[in-house]
Amino acid sequence: MGTENPNPPSYPVRPAATPFAAMQSTPPFLSSGPVAGSESSSFRPVPPASSQFRAPPFSSGPVVGSEVPAFRPPPSGRSNELVGPPPSSSSSSSHGPPAAGFQRFPTPSLPSVGHAVPQRTGQPVLSPTTRPAAGTVASPPISLLSQPQPPSIPMGSPPPSMKTGQVNGNIPPPAHQLLSSSRPNVQPSSPPVRPSYVTTPGISQATIPGYVNAQPNTVAQAQPMQPASFTLQQRGYAPGAPPTPFLAQQRSVNPPSLYSGNQMQHHVVAPPTATSPGLAEDFSSLSLGSVPGSFNAGIDNAALPRPLDGDVEPKSLAEMYPMNCSSRSLRLTTSGIPSSMSLASRWHLPLGAIVCPLAEPPAGEEVPIVNFVTTGIIRCKRCRTYVNPFVSFTDNGRKWKCNICSILNDVPGDYFAHVDASGRRVDLDQRPELTQGTIEFIAPAEYMVRPPMPPLYFFLIDVSISAVKSGMIEVMAQTIKSCLDSLPGYPRTQIGFITYDSTIHFYNMKSSLMQPQMMVVSDLDDVFIPLPDDLLVNLSESRNVVDAFLDSLPSMFQDNTNVESALGSALKAAFTVMRQLGGKLLIFQNTLPSLGVGRLRLRGDDIRVYGTDKEPASRAPEDPFYKQMAADLTKYQIAVNIYAFSDKYTDIASLGTLAKYTGGQVYYYPSFQASIHKDKLRHELTRDLTRETAWEAVMRIRCSKGVRFTNYHGNFMLRSTDLLALPAVDCDKAYAAQLSLEETLLTMQTVYFQVALLYTSSSGERRIRVHTAAAPVVADLGEMYRLADTGAIISLLSRLAIEKSLSHKLEDTRNAVQLRIVKTLREYRNLYAVQHRLSGKMIYPESLKFLPLYGLALCKSLPLRGGYADAQIDERCAAGYTMMALPVKKLLKLLYPNLVRVDYSVVNLSPQTDESNIIRKRLPLTADCLDTRGLYIFDDGFRFIIWFGRSISPDVVRNLVGEDFTGDYSKVSLSPRDNEMSRKLMKILDKFRESDPSYYQLCHLVRQADQPREGFFLLGNLVDDQNGGANSYADWILQLHRQIQQNT
Amino acid sequence: MAWEPIIWIIFSVLNLALLGLNFYQFLGFSDLEADYLNPYELSSRINSVIVLEYLLHGVFCIMFLVTGHWVMFLVSLPPAYYNLKQYLSKQHLVDVTEVFRVLNAEKKVRLVKLGFYVVFFGLVITRLALSVVFVVFGDDDEAIHWFG
Repeated sequence: MGTENPNPPSYPVRPAATPFAAMQSTPPFLSSGPVAGSESSSFRPVPPASSQFRAPPFSSGPVVGSEVPAFRPPPSGRSNELVGPPPSSSSSSSHGPPAAGFQRFPTPSLPSVGHAVPQRTGQPVLSPTTRPAAGTVASPPISLLSQPQPPSIPMGSPPPSMKTGQVNGNIPPPAHQLLSSSRPNVQPSSPPVRPSYVTTPGISQATIPGYVNAQPNTVAQAQPMQPASFTLQQRGYAPGAPPTPFLAQQRSVNPPSLYSGNQMQHHVVAPPTATSPGLAEDFSSLSLGSVPGSFNAGIDNAALPRPLDGDVEPKSLAEMYPMNCSSRSLRLTTSGIPSSMSLASRWHLPLGAIVCPLAEPPAGEEVPIVNFVTTGIIRCKRCRTYVNPFVSFTDNGRKWKCNICSILNDVPGDYFAHVDASGRRVDLDQRPELTQGTIEFIAPAEYMVRPPMPPLYFFLIDVSISAVKSGMIEVMAQTIKSCLDSLPGYPRTQIGFITYDSTIHFYNMKSSLMQPQMMVVSDLDDVFIPLPDDLLVNLSESRNVVDAFLDSLPSMFQDNTNVESALGSALKAAFTVMRQLGGKLLIFQNTLPSLGVGRLRLRGDDIRVYGTDKEPASRAPEDPFYKQMAADLTKYQIAVNIYAFSDKYTDIASLGTLAKYTGGQVYYYPSFQASIHKDKLRHELTRDLTRETAWEAVMRIRCSKGVRFTNYHGNFMLRSTDLLALPAVDCDKAYAAQLSLEETLLTMQTVYFQVALLYTSSSGERRIRVHTAAAPVVADLGEMYRLADTGAIISLLSRLAIEKSLSHKLEDTRNAVQLRIVKTLREYRNLYAVQHRLSGKMIYPESLKFLPLYGLALCKSLPLRGGYADAQIDERCAAGYTMMALPVKKLLKLLYPNLVRVDYSVVNLSPQTDESNIIRKRLPLTADCLDTRGLYIFDDGFRFIIWFGRSISPDVVRNLVGEDFTGDYSKVSLSPRDNEMSRKLMKILDKFRESDPSYYQLCHLVRQADQPREGFFLLGNLVDDQNGGANSYADWILQLHRQIQQNT
Repeated sequence: MAWEPIIWIIFSVLNLALLGLNFYQFLGFSDLEADYLNPYELSSRINSVIVLEYLLHGVFCIMFLVTGHWVMFLVSLPPAYYNLKQYLSKQHLVDVTEVFRVLNAEKKVRLVKLGFYVVFFGLVITRLALSVVFVVFGDDDEAIHWFG
């Protein structure tokens, strides 16, 4: 695997998130201008806000554009055509049938709740002109005022010849109550418009001012744009574009400047075919092979979709329901909840949600805190839902209707407020719980089973010889000491220490002592706890003793030659000490636990078991002791974080269960050496100790009747069917839940979700963090695809796959992932392919364009990749445990890391280079884009790999690495040096680190062709390339495509 | 031959005990589902009786074998095989951390076993009645050979 490539192909860099940009001009790539646009507006719920009208009613504009020329010559024929398709309420809500083009009232803006049914055959072409139309919304049609005014038409019956047209124009679907007021005003002017519209564009434009004036209400917001776009079209046509084929018109008609680059990139138009004259659908496609006259059966590698912009969250849901909680806290795999079981069974991806209850709000935003002192927390009496923005008040404000179970609840006297005519409470602006999707309630005493616990940190430290040798103890002791001031919850914070090798050492830290007292217990079978009251002390009172202990800890054991480790017994001792209060237990483990209960044996990584039925057992926990212990720890509100350091087998699979079932986390530092890894350990331990933590928490997700969360995945323990016990939670943990339908048919229009996390804050307050979100119910599979969220899907899929890998072979697990993707895309293909004759293309929804790539990345990720030799078993398991807890964004970054070229900006010595720019220039993960003269940073959120090209200037290397730049890079570390280049690079690295503080990325330097180091660190992680028997991206796409086409 | 009814009485008592144990477990799982019981209690309850149940069933089987009731022995064999398999693969105990994942499957198993023991109890009672009839009237042994 060489990386030489003197002439790297130029990949589309920044905007290349959309490799489609390149394809735009090539007809085979279909896409969906209009429908993608509809994502934003097709789902407007009934609700209150007039703001919904802001959405561009795009349908009419384009239809005018495309239809007019076609129908112009015979006006009578036109009117027939127009009357033809009755504007069914569903289709008119998204894309008007031809009639809509001539309506004065753009139906799409109406609040019809219906689902936007994707267009089927027989509907007119909706061209990308939607974009220009939308673009013009911003510009009010003031300029139009200068157009010649038409003679004012008196009220009265229009000329008979116009009858058809008028009927047509006034066909609006019955729901148009809002427009009724404006309609009379408009009617008189509309009949004359229509004929002039056909014959003389000038007059049609001219009617607009009066038209606009006639709209005093909110509708006006939406209205002006239609004529405006219409005007543009007309002007474009004026030079006399002949009714040429559709695509050609598009290009000639629309001035390129109208396309705002970003919007257009994805939207390529379907080429018109003979049978269906220009059906534009909402899918994207890739041409695969079988290009006539071409030997190259492959694909244009650079054209494949790559998430070079990182995770792009779908915005549609937030736009539909502006009061939903942020997607940081709750992400649904698809925002369209299937309306029936049969529909759900055709959705082959997991249906569910990723919840990150304590996601950090961006700087400047805060979660509003509400304290119901007098009334108690307002909750539904039946389903216990918390009051939220989606409840409605009736009976003049005396009752509120629960949005989840629809029962009417009484409003407590102190919470009463009148409602105005539109059903809104008059005090709405003072009630954040009724306007914000995320809210925090202060919980009164009935939410406590005991007084709120203080933050408690307990350290269980392995001091056997390997821990001493690696220097772990010293780094850890220093770090803890530096964090003592910033531990949350001062002055209530409690702290305690136990060290162990073949014996267990307790430390009496009573505040009256000067020095800690060490007590050694060697009976491992029945651990006796000496002085149980003084082992866990209040930090602020015993600060001096703790300081003295941490100072002396490294030297205390520096001559220790004990190789044993009695983790199980020490764990039991710690459990006994902590069980009164609960808290966080940090275990620093250096070797395989070898004594006492819970001793583990060298098992597992046997090359012979790979591929046999025994293979999964090596990844599954062996000793039930740890599971049982984890369950007990959770019961007493103790969360365990494992820090493992060994260079040898430590059985992370078994140890990790401690973290998994207690809501903790596994940190793994293989072959820890203080000199190399100390920054990483220091940063991550500091973060673990100082980040805001929620203690003794429980979480429950409620949802509307008819759907139910069935399976949960992540680091927690289930206390009842739907109650997650989380002894400690923080912003770096996310939980996945799978949704299933309980009823064969859902009758409601909207499903509501409410995540409630009841916890004790570090300050000792009991609080409830509540996230509420609404999602529409859809009856159409295409809609589910359109509303899909790749990030959430991949996050859930990876959790399922990792769980599966504990009981199945890796090969089978990967196949299962692949099968799911194939089934998904095949189902999608069945929706659309037949009518489009797209045999040679792979089609996929725009929303899932990265799904194949992330699927491939998942199969190549550490927990699932290859076989025996591809990853060490401990690293596999540790990565698996980590991925089970990662929030969506971090997971996606881990799966498809950043690769950026930095040599230009490092060498370029001008001080004013913008680092953030560099960070955004992500490259595809393939060796082809590594230039031998370049310097690259590969960042997966957990480590940096800095790749030096072979022909990079020695000056650069010397400046960055120092004089021994020709030596062995595994021994060289990157430290700040006193020159501009080094400072620059450090600045860039810091920038990367700032973007995600939850882990520290340690730098690994790699030189080109320095095998096997290069292969291990970089080449094996280049997802787009073929590596270790796994497919390259192009091959993977081809393989998927073949499988999709089978049995269709 | 008065011991024949006595053996059948013992069998029916054993059968009742198995029925009771299974019902107890089934109840535990339903309670867990309805949130009347937490997983810790459930697992300690079930794990304390599961081995007893397996042993009881083993005794049940062996007694049929020893007393020469071949057909009954064969009928009682499949559950015994299932139990042994579970025990040997160490899957007989309820894992408190993952109990909700296996809840439905475990419930189904208990339900099937419950059904089996009910049917079996019917057989045992019939045999008991027949043996009593046989002992009382002494002369007609056809009925017994009917059932082997």
